Amino acid sequence: MIITASLRSTRILKLLPLVSALCILVGVTWLLLLPLDDYSRRTYISENALLPGQVHTYFGGSEQDVFRSYRHEVTALGKNASADGSGVMAAKIGGIFDAFGLKVGKQKFEYIAAGGVYAGENVYAVLQAPRGDATEALVLCAAWVNTEGELNESGVALVLALARYLKRWSLWSKDIIFLITSDSRAGPQAWVDSYHDLHAPPAVASLPLKSGAIQGVVVVDYPTSRGFESLHIVYDGINGQLPNLDLINTAVRIASGQMAIRTMLQEMWSHDNQYRDRLRTMLRGMVNQGLGHASGPHSSFIPYHIDAITLQAYGDGWHDEVTLGRTVESLFRSLNNLLEHFHQSFFFYLLMAERRFVSIGTYLPSAMLIAVNFTIAAIGLWLKSGRLDAGEEENKGGDGKVSEGKEKLLGPAGEAPSAAADAVSEERPLLLAMAFVVAIHFLGFIPLYLFNNLDEKNFTSAFYIFALLNVVLPSVLCAIFTKSSTPTRLHFALIKCFSLLLLGMFLSALATLNFSLSFLIGVFASPITFINPTPERKWTVGAAWMTLLQGLTPTTALVGVAYYWGEPLSEILKEAAFGWRVWGMWTQVVVWCVWWPAWIIAGVLVAGSWAVEA
Amino acid sequence: MDRRSFTVIIAAVVLRLAMFMAFPSLPDLLTNRVELSTPVTSFKRLQEGLFLYTHGLSPYDGGVFHQAPLLLAFFTTLPSNPIVVYLVYILSDVLSAYSLIQIATSGVSVSTPYHTSSRKSSAWPPWAVAAAFLFNPFSIATCIARPTIVFTNTVILTAIAKGVQGQGVAAVLALAMASYLSLYPVLLLPPMVLLAYDTLPAVKKKECSLGSFAAVLTSVFTFAAAGLGALSWGITGGSWEFLASTYGVHLLLPDLTPNVGLWWYFFIEMFDSFREFFLCVFQLHLAVYLAGLCLRLRKQPLFVITTLLGISSIFKSYPSIGDTALYLSLLSLYRHIFPLMRYTFFVTSTLLYATLLGPAFYHLWIYAGSGNANFFYAITLVWSLAVTVLVSDAIFAVLRDEWETERPEMKGKEIVQI
Repeated sequence: MIITASLRSTRILKLLPLVSALCILVGVTWLLLLPLDDYSRRTYISENALLPGQVHTYFGGSEQDVFRSYRHEVTALGKNASADGSGVMAAKIGGIFDAFGLKVGKQKFEYIAAGGVYAGENVYAVLQAPRGDATEALVLCAAWVNTEGELNESGVALVLALARYLKRWSLWSKDIIFLITSDSRAGPQAWVDSYHDLHAPPAVASLPLKSGAIQGVVVVDYPTSRGFESLHIVYDGINGQLPNLDLINTAVRIASGQMAIRTMLQEMWSHDNQYRDRLRTMLRGMVNQGLGHASGPHSSFIPYHIDAITLQAYGDGWHDEVTLGRTVESLFRSLNNLLEHFHQSFFFYLLMAERRFVSIGTYLPSAMLIAVNFTIAAIGLWLKSGRLDAGEEENKGGDGKVSEGKEKLLGPAGEAPSAAADAVSEERPLLLAMAFVVAIHFLGFIPLYLFNNLDEKNFTSAFYIFALLNVVLPSVLCAIFTKSSTPTRLHFALIKCFSLLLLGMFLSALATLNFSLSFLIGVFASPITFINPTPERKWTVGAAWMTLLQGLTPTTALVGVAYYWGEPLSEILKEAAFGWRVWGMWTQVVVWCVWWPAWIIAGVLVAGSWAVEA
Repeated sequence: MDRRSFTVIIAAVVLRLAMFMAFPSLPDLLTNRVELSTPVTSFKRLQEGLFLYTHGLSPYDGGVFHQAPLLLAFFTTLPSNPIVVYLVYILSDVLSAYSLIQIATSGVSVSTPYHTSSRKSSAWPPWAVAAAFLFNPFSIATCIARPTIVFTNTVILTAIAKGVQGQGVAAVLALAMASYLSLYPVLLLPPMVLLAYDTLPAVKKKECSLGSFAAVLTSVFTFAAAGLGALSWGITGGSWEFLASTYGVHLLLPDLTPNVGLWWYFFIEMFDSFREFFLCVFQLHLAVYLAGLCLRLRKQPLFVITTLLGISSIFKSYPSIGDTALYLSLLSLYRHIFPLMRYTFFVTSTLLYATLLGPAFYHLWIYAGSGNANFFYAITLVWSLAVTVLVSDAIFAVLRDEWETERPEMKGKEIVQI
């Protein structure tokens, strides 16, 4: 009672915007502090069974000649058959696997997204474990063309050479699946969906041959025939899910410790392990995680709770295919040791250097503080709306019951009025505000449907039309709203209250699933907290707010992403539509059904500050 | 039933049909949600039981099916078309809404022979109460997930509707059916007797004292329950196996599938030697509120029923969202006390938070593999906390309302209990 009573006092209510601002400030500062030595930790191997780099690797010698001959085959095949997913590649590679005495399977797939057709054929072979019972499997994968569209000649050849080489060992306790997918985006998804019988036949064919539960996946991406300088480890999964940190640690330890290859993360080609580079690595990781797209062929595996990474050869250097082959060999020896599924180490982390990370307990408060700022503002508005109502009723006379309560409230000065207000809370006109907020949230399904179902040819024009509409939409909606019903200041306060409550709720739930997306949207949306829903006296303030808001729309963010990647807008939208159809990516659901409605409502509030007064 | 109520019901039926038809994968998706389907209500398990039953095997073999035998008999007479099943569930919701309309029309929630609230005028009209039930997302999700709790809820509401109309025998018969379907409604018998007795005309009350009235109704209840048991014995081919597989499961909690309640995690962690003791404690805990509430809220037996339903939706062995939906729909009859409640905003936001975070944490635990059982349990605790606060806040508000009706001069003043 006493707490509520004091909460109702104006002084604390006036402080609430400050508390909100403090939350945002602390949240952002928190994130910026993470790269410091005091807040991040060195990585370590949690799972003792892994024993990274504890074995001798024997790949090399004559295997190198075998590798080179395969590379010739692959290069020749790549020139002739191009990478359009024609069965030539699958037939040829399947023939090579068959010659090793491995069981071979092929899978045709075809996806249609945003009017584009993505078809191809995967080929894979299963090495049955001499010491296992086919209940567990590891996957060594190479995409025929990598994410950049280059022919992955050395990568595919390395998988072939390793298939031939690893078959000779008798120590495998898990089956090894050698998988060549015809592309980097749709192929792995089709394969892993079918592996778990969650594909949609007949567009995606079923697998003729299967093995046990997949424990780990390593993808090799080595598109040149020259030596390489360092290894780039890609680990982001779809929807921002990450593989177990132990897998990355094992790869880093083997590559840098055993093989003396420099490793890199998040395209940070040079990294001095100081604050700035750590921060940049972390932020790049967060952008990738937040966008939730597939960063490599491994990404499709991660939603199935399969830990997967891509090893990319980068730059020109003196490391050759044998070093990479040995790295993979050693990595598979480690994975072979696993007694149970990866579970020891972290699934939620931010990496800021290849041996530096923060875990969820350390970083989550920053996103949560930003989400909480909305909730605090909502609670503040709720309490304040009780007073607003009282003030309003006083002016208007109100209906009998409330003014009666009001009299009591103002009656004997000695009685604690705040406590009385507790007992006889004023009734707030909730229905209109609630209906408005819910309706706007449902409105979000329109752009969601539109951008996932339009043909890719129309994307650019559709986007510009939408962006233009988006500029005027809040004012139009506000005009319709004020014309059709007669909202008061109180209505606007309640609309803001519900909208912020929902936003805070969605973002804190999202923070547990995809921290980065929640944080980024939270930061973009943070000015909404400070919009004053009561009519502004000066129209200039409203105009300034509107300008600021226009700079923070989801459409602006989309343009920002396009700029960040240096790709045209239509490509980004195509990727999003493809992700929605094929990968099951739900970033756009969050953008259109959580962020965009909150933004629209903020716009309506600003526009309302002109409309209501009149 | 007035035109508005009729419109509300039609709209609700159309909405439910549209959900069933427009999203064909939605019913099965929701059926698999642990928040909606429990081991004792799940539609999937019902189908398993039906399969065994129609193939001449005991439905309780295999330990999957834990529902009443009459449900089997009922569903075997239905054509196997899914649309018929949808319609049955929709009809059940419509009947619930109809009962709610009857209860609201009777005005028992605002005025009983011993108490008439001074805030009477702000109660919701019947159509609004029906709408609060029919358009509650929890009710809609429960209807679409098709757990058999839907039928229990309908029968409970029918019992209350009969009770407020003074048809004690009919009310108790319906209550016997509800208890037969899911055991815990048996706790509602005493307040139901009070409710039916209060609505009797004064002439009849003179003829028959509360004691004898209660005795009659209790024996009717017992006979009805025994009759249902005997019928079930016949349906399952002369075997008493169903007793252990249905009520035994409610009482002994052999199936520890997660749900929104507080039991499953507790009994997973429990050492076996303490299991019996804590089972008794947990079961007794449910019954403990009965006498106290009946005495303290003697003037408003309908509110006792409402509160008991709220309590059992938190503390019973296999609660689901459907139980909370029933409590919330009955609470909407008490719209006039909402202004007296102190934590509505807190409760609403906590319930919403839990609704969002529950599925998220369940996903992290079961599908993503990056969380664990503690995540989901923590959220069910938050959920239960919110419902607990709501229940106690509603009791506070009703008591305050009674007090203010007695002493109108004290309206709006702070009170301290010494």
